[in-house]
Amino acid sequence: MTTLVNGEIDKTATGRPQSRGQGDWAAVAGQESRDLWLSGRGPLLLFAFSVLLSVFTYLAATNRAINFLEQREAVDQTLQIAVAVGVLVTLLVSADAISGERERGTLEGLLLTPVSRRAIVLGKLIAALTLWFATFVVSIPYIWVLGRGVSIVRSALLLGLGVGTLLAVGLAALGLLISALSGSNKVSLAISFFLLLAVFAPSQLPGGLPKGWFGDVLGKINPVGSGLHYSTAVLVNGHGWTRDLEYLISPLVLAVLAGGGLLILSERIVRLNPGGER
Amino acid sequence: MAETSLEARRLTKTFGTRTAVDGVTFTAEPREIVGLLGPNGAGKTTTIRLLTTVLTPTSGEFSVAGVPSSRPNEIRRRVGVLPESAGYPAHQTGREHLTYFARLFGMSRSESSRVATRLLEQMGLQDRASSPLSTYSRGMRQRLGIARAMVNDPDVVFLDEPTLGLDPAGQRQVLRNVRDIAADRGATVILSTHTLTEVEEVCNRVLILGEGRVLVSGTVAEITSAVAAPRFATLRVPGSEVGAARQVLAGLQGLTIAASGERPDVLRISRSGRDGMNPVLRALLAADVTVLSFEVEGTRLHDAYLALTGDATVEEPSE
Amino acid sequence: MRTRLGLAFGAIAALAVIAAAPAAAQTTNGIQVTVDQPRITAVIGDRITIRAHVTNSGSTASDPLIAHLNVASLTGTYVDLEDWTAAPTQHVNPLDAHATTALSWDIQAVNAGRFDVYVVMLPNGPTSSGIGPAVASSPVEVTVAGKRTLNAGGSLPVVIAVPLLLGGAALGARLRLRRR
Repeated sequence: MTTLVNGEIDKTATGRPQSRGQGDWAAVAGQESRDLWLSGRGPLLLFAFSVLLSVFTYLAATNRAINFLEQREAVDQTLQIAVAVGVLVTLLVSADAISGERERGTLEGLLLTPVSRRAIVLGKLIAALTLWFATFVVSIPYIWVLGRGVSIVRSALLLGLGVGTLLAVGLAALGLLISALSGSNKVSLAISFFLLLAVFAPSQLPGGLPKGWFGDVLGKINPVGSGLHYSTAVLVNGHGWTRDLEYLISPLVLAVLAGGGLLILSERIVRLNPGGER
Repeated sequence: MAETSLEARRLTKTFGTRTAVDGVTFTAEPREIVGLLGPNGAGKTTTIRLLTTVLTPTSGEFSVAGVPSSRPNEIRRRVGVLPESAGYPAHQTGREHLTYFARLFGMSRSESSRVATRLLEQMGLQDRASSPLSTYSRGMRQRLGIARAMVNDPDVVFLDEPTLGLDPAGQRQVLRNVRDIAADRGATVILSTHTLTEVEEVCNRVLILGEGRVLVSGTVAEITSAVAAPRFATLRVPGSEVGAARQVLAGLQGLTIAASGERPDVLRISRSGRDGMNPVLRALLAADVTVLSFEVEGTRLHDAYLALTGDATVEEPSE
Repeated sequence: MRTRLGLAFGAIAALAVIAAAPAAAQTTNGIQVTVDQPRITAVIGDRITIRAHVTNSGSTASDPLIAHLNVASLTGTYVDLEDWTAAPTQHVNPLDAHATTALSWDIQAVNAGRFDVYVVMLPNGPTSSGIGPAVASSPVEVTVAGKRTLNAGGSLPVVIAVPLLLGGAALGARLRLRRR
């Protein structure tokens, strides 16, 4: 109970916590990650991804006609699948991170704590990135199996980690921005899906991108296409690591702009009502 | 501790052309329970959100526990809030949820765990501490919400509709918790509610809001007196003197008489104004009317509230 | 008849001299290009360095030159030069009289079989560009052995174990939630 000292409440005598501090991004990241992984969503996604890779790897392994070059291409394909899936799930999780909490009614409780808005978004960003890193880790044994005979395992893993992380950071930050500004969770997820289509579709065009300067510019602007182009150039075409560095510019720009923008604007956009108070 | 726990001066919030809170001014002291009453859309929740820094005022200022509104982070460290439509993560357990929030207030893991255990026991949730929140009943969630509001041992606690959707037993439990928060912890409680009996039961002071403005504030007695809400009395006279009684009553200003159905000798009287029912009894006695019984009903907060806001949706206290 | 026989004998002798000295220089307009190794044996995927020396045996400085590496299959295998090396062409600065410069190419043996790898020098001066003549080195005979590095048996442990592990983890998470 309370102790009265000189007419004032002396809380130190009660044994109640005296902490008037504030939590930081690590507390948010820790809990968000636990919610993501222990709720079963994360492990289920990884399981589905591993089945996909297993089928792909087994088909490659049973193909007697596969030659050295095709084996290298198989490693590159595996890397592209890992990056595509990892980036996809990371973007979708971050697109739900703020707008979803608004709709579930849990955002207000978070805003009522002394944790800064910046720490909140940083914690959510890190939690979303755990999905990318987990996807990458799952792909390691497959890349090893496919790549050990053609001596490109180490290059493939370094490329995957570098390019994939750059893309995951950029798209996760973008997803969080969209989530904070969207009027509803449906809108946030729809915009994010459209964004994914926009970055992956050009590579699926028959004949690839249009030839000439326009196709070249389009290829370099698209951060996902550009990043994957770089990894193919090194892994399959045997280019040196520094020869095609200009293809890493757009992934880097995305990561810096989206990540920086998110951290700078967080105080203004992470609000109870989407888009701030009007 | 500061003498005044909470002070709001001309607090105003507009959303576009709509003014949700208009010049709200009030203070609250330690250990005080202040009730916020008003119809839907009166500005109660918006006022709470302004004072807890979730929303930014368009104009006006406030301070909580001596901390000015220019330091919102510091204010958040010192307040506890149960929002009106609080959501809870379905997969977290009660213990995990409280531990997490304790961590958000800067406590270490071990300290957070201790605080969570203590609060769960105080709220009678210790047996369900390890159950996911999706399995909690509404009453359990409200109690968990109050526990969460207490995690940082706040100076001021804001409870927005804490008894909404609860059965009478649940409501009583919550009101007990509210009293304990103020009495045992010395905290100020701001209680927003639709239930007038709750206000009458636990609140030291009441603010009645309407269209974003403070219509009246004070103790329950002060409000019922100030508003001059109608007062009621039940008069029983012998059947032969009903006519004489009616004649006396007709001579008094501001009086309305209704017969009470099957009993013509029982008259229900209502009177507006500040004079009360004493002059009515004096007039009857002076006219030698035999008064068999004269029961005066205390002016209820409900009547004052209704007179001020016209909000018929508020719960009428049961007789 | 004796003359024809003599000529034939002379030709055969010349050919024999040429065949006996696989690293011997080809000379045209003073530029000579020689390769260091006549023969290389490798396994598919190996990285090989081809080294060559370009000498200007003329009495004046040469024009700027282009050195281009070529790979020709001796067993009919389709060869895409881009797969072997990303940079087959090198530019050589004008060589002073009697000067020599060394060049090298890093290539990867991406096809199995027998191949001739050789260097061709082309003039690239203001007046000589596009006109030639080309000067070729002797070929380096590269024998690449095939290797089957990917097989169903080798991949099975990963293909089966990883989904099993992750499926178990997913199931465990679900059951843990249900039990709460």
